[in-house]
Parts: sequence; structure tokens; C-alpha cells
Amino acid sequence: MAILMAPEQATESFRDSGRHATPAIELSKVTKRFPTPSGSVFTAIRDVNLVVEPGQFCAVVGPTGCGKSTTLTLVSGLDRPSAGVARVHGAPVDGIAEGTSFVFQADALLPWKTVLGNVALGPIFHGIARKPAHATARDWLRRVGLKGFEDHYPHQLSGGMRKRVGLAAALINDPSILLMDEPFGALDVQTKAIMSNELLALWEQTKPSVIFVTHDLEEAIALADTVVVMTVGPGTVKAVYDIDLPRPRGAVQEIRFEPRFLALHQQIWDSLRSEVERAYARTATSTEHGEDR
Amino acid sequence: MSVVFDSAALGDESQIAADLRRKKIRRRLLVYAARALTLFLVLGGWELFANLKIVDPFFFGQPSGVYQTLRHWVEHGTAYGSLWLQIWTTLKEALEGFALGVSGGVLFGLLLGQNRFLSDVLGPYVKAMNAIPRIVLGSIFVIWLGFGTTSKAVLAAVLVFFVVFFNAYQGVREVDRNLVANVRVLGASRLQVTRQVVLPSALTWIIASLHVAFGFSIIGAIVGEFLGAQKGLGLVIATAQGNFDPNGVFGAMLIIAVIALTAEFLIERIERRLLAWRPPSHAEAGLA
Repeated sequence: MAILMAPEQATESFRDSGRHATPAIELSKVTKRFPTPSGSVFTAIRDVNLVVEPGQFCAVVGPTGCGKSTTLTLVSGLDRPSAGVARVHGAPVDGIAEGTSFVFQADALLPWKTVLGNVALGPIFHGIARKPAHATARDWLRRVGLKGFEDHYPHQLSGGMRKRVGLAAALINDPSILLMDEPFGALDVQTKAIMSNELLALWEQTKPSVIFVTHDLEEAIALADTVVVMTVGPGTVKAVYDIDLPRPRGAVQEIRFEPRFLALHQQIWDSLRSEVERAYARTATSTEHGEDR
Repeated sequence: MSVVFDSAALGDESQIAADLRRKKIRRRLLVYAARALTLFLVLGGWELFANLKIVDPFFFGQPSGVYQTLRHWVEHGTAYGSLWLQIWTTLKEALEGFALGVSGGVLFGLLLGQNRFLSDVLGPYVKAMNAIPRIVLGSIFVIWLGFGTTSKAVLAAVLVFFVVFFNAYQGVREVDRNLVANVRVLGASRLQVTRQVVLPSALTWIIASLHVAFGFSIIGAIVGEFLGAQKGLGLVIATAQGNFDPNGVFGAMLIIAVIALTAEFLIERIERRLLAWRPPSHAEAGLA
């Protein structure tokens, strides 16, 4: 059910095209438990199986608190699974994986660094000298439409602009895997639509494998090749849907009126709704656990 | 039609802006005048009451006496050499102690703040050491290190250390975990995380502690000199006390106050420079 085969052409443009059989990201029977302050154990995700092929854009939707973010931290190597294996390019994740970038829900820009300094962090951490690192950063800022803002500090930018800086900072490392944790969740509807379009345009250039966590189903369908529906926590994969809308998708604001989009939306929402309702019923009765943990 | 309307509105606005500016200047002048008046009333009252013998100048001194003493020190030096030598001695002790204490405090704060095990092990001892009246250590340092300037610098350093340490430690603990996770994913090593995220983030806390810390370093130097020294402002005060010379005590106090205010001014300049990235105020931070 959870294992997906991507179309062959997706792997062709990818860097390790020699290993066709190896998925970019593979979670098998991954469980993550956290100790709670009260001494008990909280299971965030349970037996999650997920495969993302190279160059595939995978969106994960699910109710609040279903462990979507936890899944990302396990793929990135920021945290380790309690049971099961997370593999990236076939190798088990052991610490921060090279070639993985993460775009966080909250702003993760260093407030004491200028926009240019923030974007140049990745290359500098990889031992590249300041000058070429800044040159690359300038180029990326131009690509995300922030030419002229190099010397601004993050607090001088709008939310959407800060997200662009975050995108540039993540993409400058030329990741083969891009993890995004509700990246546009805090933006207003119009800015979100613009950012979604730009994300697609940037993604089409280098085609990293993406896991895009969101609880906005329309956003998920408009952007992704596959949509994974997770159950209410402890989260596990409930269903996986192939999104067969043609690419390039064009403006996300318009695609949502196409009949195929509406049909997919209807189909996935049927699956998601019961989980959302169960999650809601649960938060109404207890507020024991923090969100998305 | 609309042009006429616009320019009229513009004229109004520049008029209002000019009015506001004038009001602001007037208020500032008023504040300065009130400050000068306050100083005049306090010093004048003190001088007047001392002259009328309502307060006894033998015990309380008087402003003119303080001035005479300071002038005498400047022209003829103190009992232990020139006034400048005394000031320089105390300042040197305070600065050395400050530098030592700040570096130690920041270093240990970063170390214990980032290493849970170390902080669990050493935490109670640090708290216990903070609880003892450290000023008494001055006597030990005089025994160990003699009457020279080193014992005073060390006492100042001990006083400064704890202030800076607790702030640095807290600052490190308050670092946004999101920022750390982000730079780790971007490829930062442990040392790079400390340098690029933890230290700048804790800097707000550390710098806030420097204001108090410099005051402590002066206290350390002066008290150290009280306990036994060959020169320094503390010794000058101790001597004035022995001679029942309140003017001498107040005079030395005044000098110390000037030193402390100068230091405060410099620290504020450094603060503004290092924390230039901060948004000017919370109200404006949301706008762009």
C-alpha cells in the first residue's frame, strides 16, 4: 500500500541515476516515542512506511498532532527512530545527512545576520571561503526575487520575504532531499499562493526529492506527485494517493478549479476527514500533548 | 482640484511636524533645567546647612571641603603618591578583574549551558559558592597573593565571574532550538553552532550582565585595597576614614563614580554596536 513506484523519467535527471532501484527516502516500520515530563511514554508515530522516489514531490497531510513533523526530523537525522529504519539513498540515517535541507515552520533565520549572511551559511559550513560563498548567496537571492535586500536584517523583511530567504538558504546547499515542515503555514493566503508557485518553479530546476508537510489539503494536491494521509496520533500512514495532474502545474490558484483536482480532493478528503474529526474530538476532551509531537 | 487639496494637506502635515519638534525640544530643555536645579538644591542645601552648623561638617563634610580635598590631591598628590597613580592602580585592578571574570563567566556559561551532564554535576557547587559571601575571600587572596594589585584583581574577578556566569548560562539555555536545528541541518559543526548561534544569542544576556559586572569589579578592587594595599583609591578612603576626614571619603567616592559612569557609557556604546541587528522596538518589528 505504502510502497510507490515513481515514473521512470523522474529518476533520469537525478544525480545517482545509476541506482534506479534505490528510493531517495525510505521509512520502514518507523516508530518514534518520546518520554514525557510526567514520566510516561508518548508515541508520536507508529510503524510508518513511506517511500519517496528520487525527484518526487511528496506531500504529507494529517490532523494536528499526528507526528508529521516528527517524521521529518527522523529523515533529516535531527532525531533517531525508536524502532524501524529511516534510509536516505539506501543508507540508514545516522546523524545529519549530507545533501538534506530543511525548511522549518517557524522562521529559522539568524536574526543577527544579514539576509546575505544567512543564505551564505550553508556553503560556509561546508568550508567554502567567504567570498565565493557570498557570490553564490547573491545568486540565490536573485533567484528568489530578493535582489537588493542582501544587507537587510531578517526583522526588516515581511513574512513572505523571510520565507524566500529560508528557501534560498535551504536550496543553496543543492540538496537531493528537501524537507519542508508547513513552510507556508504562517503566511496569508495570497502570499502563500505566490510562494507555492515559486517553490514549484525552483523545484523544477533541480528536482530534489521533497517531503512537504502541511495540513492544507489543497496545497498538498496542487504541489505534490503523491499525497500521503496520516492517521490521528500515534500517526501512521493511512493511504497514499498519486496525483496525476500534469506538470508543469502552472498557477496553484487556478489548478484548484480543474475537474481532476476537485475529484482528487474529494477522494482524499473522504479519507482525511475521519482522522481530522477524531483528532478534533480528542483535543476537545484533553489537551495533554503538545501539537505535532 | 485634487492637487490643491493634496498640497493643503501636506502643508498641514509639515506644520504639525514642526510643532511636534518644537514641543520635544522644549521638553528636553525643561528636563535639563530641572536636573541642574536638583543638583544645585542638594549641594547648595548641604553647603548651607553645614555652614549654619545645622549638620556638623566634622562628621558630614561639605561640598566646598570635598572640592578643597580634591584640589589638594590634584595639586600635591595623596599620602601614597600622585592622585593619578591611585586612580590608575584601582582602575587597573578593576579592569583586570573584569576581563578575567567576564572571560571565565562566559566560558563556563557556554560550557555548562551546552553540556547537561556537566551542569548537573557542577550546578550545586556553583550555587553553593555563589551563596558564600565572596567578599571575605579578599582576606584569603591578600594572604595568598600579598599586598600588590594581583590580590585585588582576583577578588574583582571572583565577584564579576558569578554575575556573568549566571547570565551566560541562562542565555545559552534560552537559545531558540529551531535555530540550532536549522544550522545543524545546513552542516554546522558543534563549534560552528556555538560560534554562530549560541554565542550571538546569549550575547544579549551577557551584555546585560556587564553593566552590573563592572560595578562589581570596582567594588572588588576597592574592598581589596581596604583589606591591605600600598596604593589605590580604596587605601585613600581607608586613610581618610582613619583621619575622620569625611571630605576625603566623599572626594574619593566622587572619583569612583566618574570612573563607573565612564565605563557605563563605554559598555553602552559596545552594546549598541554588538546588538545593532536587533529591531528598534517590538511595535516596528512586525512591519516591513
